Amino acid sequence: MSGSKTYSPERVQCDHCLQETTEKTAITALIDGERKQFCCRGCLGVYELIHSQSLDVFYRQRCDWQPGPPLPSVKVEAGAFSDTVTSSGKENRIDILLSGIRCASCVWLIEKFLMKLDGVLSARVNYATHKATIIWTGEKTGLDTILNAVRSIGYLPHPCRRNSSSDIFEREKQDLLLRFGTAGFFSMQLMLFTAALYAGFFQGMEERYRLSFQLISWALATPVVFYAGFPFLSSAVRSIGRVTLNMDVLVALGSLSAYLYSIAMIVMGGEVFFDTSAMIITFILLGRFLEAGSRLKAGNAIAELAELQPQEAVLVSPTGETSLVPLSSVNAGDCIEIIPGDRIPLDGMVVDGEAEVNESMLTGESNAVLKRPESEVFAGTFSINGRLRISVTGNAGDTLLSRIIRTVEDAQARKAPIQGIADKTAGFFVPATIVLALATFLYWNLSSGNTVFALMNAVSVLVIACPCALGLATPLAILIATTAAGKRGILVKGGDIFETVSKTTTVVLDKTGTITKGRPAVTDIHFFYGTLDSFLQHASALEACSEHPAGRAIAASWHGEPGKVEQFRAIPGKGVSGTIDAKIWKAGSRAFMEQEKIIISPEQDAAASTLEGEGKTIVMVAFEQKLAGIIALIDDLRDDTLPLLAGLRKKGLSLQILTGDNRGVAAYIAARCGITDVKAELGPLEKASVIRALKEQGECVMMIGDGINDAPALTEADIGVTLGHASGIALESAGVAILKDDLKLINTMIESSFRCFSIIKQNLVWAFSYNLVALPLAVSGFMHPIVSALLMAASSLFVVSNSLRLRKI
Amino acid sequence: MSSIFFLIGIGFFFGIAAWFLFIWAVKSGQFDDPEAPKYRMLDDDDDTAPQTDNRKSRL
Repeated sequence: MSGSKTYSPERVQCDHCLQETTEKTAITALIDGERKQFCCRGCLGVYELIHSQSLDVFYRQRCDWQPGPPLPSVKVEAGAFSDTVTSSGKENRIDILLSGIRCASCVWLIEKFLMKLDGVLSARVNYATHKATIIWTGEKTGLDTILNAVRSIGYLPHPCRRNSSSDIFEREKQDLLLRFGTAGFFSMQLMLFTAALYAGFFQGMEERYRLSFQLISWALATPVVFYAGFPFLSSAVRSIGRVTLNMDVLVALGSLSAYLYSIAMIVMGGEVFFDTSAMIITFILLGRFLEAGSRLKAGNAIAELAELQPQEAVLVSPTGETSLVPLSSVNAGDCIEIIPGDRIPLDGMVVDGEAEVNESMLTGESNAVLKRPESEVFAGTFSINGRLRISVTGNAGDTLLSRIIRTVEDAQARKAPIQGIADKTAGFFVPATIVLALATFLYWNLSSGNTVFALMNAVSVLVIACPCALGLATPLAILIATTAAGKRGILVKGGDIFETVSKTTTVVLDKTGTITKGRPAVTDIHFFYGTLDSFLQHASALEACSEHPAGRAIAASWHGEPGKVEQFRAIPGKGVSGTIDAKIWKAGSRAFMEQEKIIISPEQDAAASTLEGEGKTIVMVAFEQKLAGIIALIDDLRDDTLPLLAGLRKKGLSLQILTGDNRGVAAYIAARCGITDVKAELGPLEKASVIRALKEQGECVMMIGDGINDAPALTEADIGVTLGHASGIALESAGVAILKDDLKLINTMIESSFRCFSIIKQNLVWAFSYNLVALPLAVSGFMHPIVSALLMAASSLFVVSNSLRLRKI
Repeated sequence: MSSIFFLIGIGFFFGIAAWFLFIWAVKSGQFDDPEAPKYRMLDDDDDTAPQTDNRKSRL
């Protein structure tokens, strides 16, 4: 039995889908005198339909077409789509998602085909998003007709609903932009008249100009304070109602007191400070807008992730019938079908079919992964070229994708402890400031008798104290840094975790699959007959037929022409045997050799024992009842392990390896890494207790692992770091998930965490010292409110631009 | 003397017009997606079928 496939000359290609089929089963039809062959009736139907609409050019112009039959005959119910139709007058508009689009010609075909329908005014398909926008008039054509037209040419329509949370984000962003834009616009106009009034104050100006400019200033400041500043005012009122004063109280108080004072001055004939009240609002809105922008980007990342998950699945009933159903009605254990080019809606195990699946959205790995029966597939990934039937392992809320989405959402809700400092400070800071402002007003009013001067100083105190730079300092830096990390494939679950990363003292590494490749590779070859080449050629030919990981590794180590094996036989758990060039070859464990009565000399036995002592797995190869050679394998280091360790050492972190593997292997790997601290033969809970012991010694421990067996240790550690998507439970128990298969990203993350917290410290020092210096000046009457508003804006700007440096990691 | 109020009036007129333009732009979603337009120009949305390499096709 050989492993190669044979192709019989009778194979033909389907004229529609290009899939290969046999001459016997092919359906032949005469279309316009030409003999065409199809793999199934579905393809024939589609071909006839396209031909009848004279859209044959599709077949000549398509390229990059991945062979695959059209969709199964699934009924499309217009009812499921009716709520996504928007009607205006006679025109109806619908957005639908299409599956089965495989090339740019598909887009062309769908657009042309729909345009041929009566009443369709416009049909547009976006190749990148597979989203179609169709506008039609309802009189002649119903939605049913359109959907079934799409289906009849082999594409499956899905309802396209907007994600509600992204809608809210979108509205918030619009609202903030409108308020900020308005505030900015009116403030600019206002400054024009204020500048004139200032000039007038020094040079003198006619009373009627002065009064009219003051009135214009009032008119301009009003929308800024009450429309643009509305979020601050309402938040301040709510905050006072709850007796927990927040920063918005300061903003509202500062702005309103300047505003009301200016109105009084118009009546009494003094100087006005409408610009102060407007500028406070404008500058703080600018800070909010920048902050919301970066938060929105993170929110968009979630929305993008969520959009990866389709809302329907093709359910295969036990009798083999297929139907399109909403995701909520699919349960674990159900069988669903995945069509080429379609996103996989749920996690599951392949039960039938073979396909290359693109998992880049989860792992960042751009190469497609081959999935065959018993492989795991994940929601959000898509099949490139094959049809799969999968047995669903969990419902829609329980996919790796939804866990990732939840993780990201949690990350944004969690606050870093350092952020708590700013929040706690606000609790007593705000009342203290109000008291201070009041005291300032009373002092100056009594001592100088100048109410205007006293009030201006009080407003200055309020404005200066308004700690928006302080409030921005931490969340903005963390948000920017974690978003930048997320773009590189580093998912940090929260600001607190990100903060802890910078405090790490010890890094504990899991061995298998984390710092090693997780699969064996050949390290030593001992041969006792012939040449190395001939030995390896025969051994690899034999093992090429084997499914065992060791066998594959041996087969992969030979790059020449493989030998031809006959009478191949595999004894599970023992070894393989076969005939090469009429000679019997066997390969397998030592026990297998003993069972087969192969003669092993004491020297050969000693060599094997030495290799085993080094922690290597050995495969013995026998030729006609004599031992021909010994091949040793080991699960070796990944290519990126040594750069990772070099980076960690440079940070002065102590390193330790924990593994469930035997001592020999652990010692070998530790020697390769240059790590002396190794603990082998540990169970999952023992790993966790080692980490607990380290923590009790006062170490801040980062654990890097990937498997289910690492989950307890990952939870126990101060920071758990997990790699790839190897195990869902590991992902959940870890604080950091590296989605790309690259260990060096851990260095990037640590580096970025260190930078983030040094920037936060700079921000905090700046914001505090600004308040510390400016507040006494304001109290003692050296600060005009405008100067303090400008300084405050400069302070916020410093914090924002300093934090933005974190975008590059 | 009245020229200054006249000029202020003109200034306001343009200013308010610009403000309305801004409100219209925000409401109609002009600022919604600052990323996509730079890629959109690369989209092939000609009225004919996309030009493809005919050597690859079978017929």
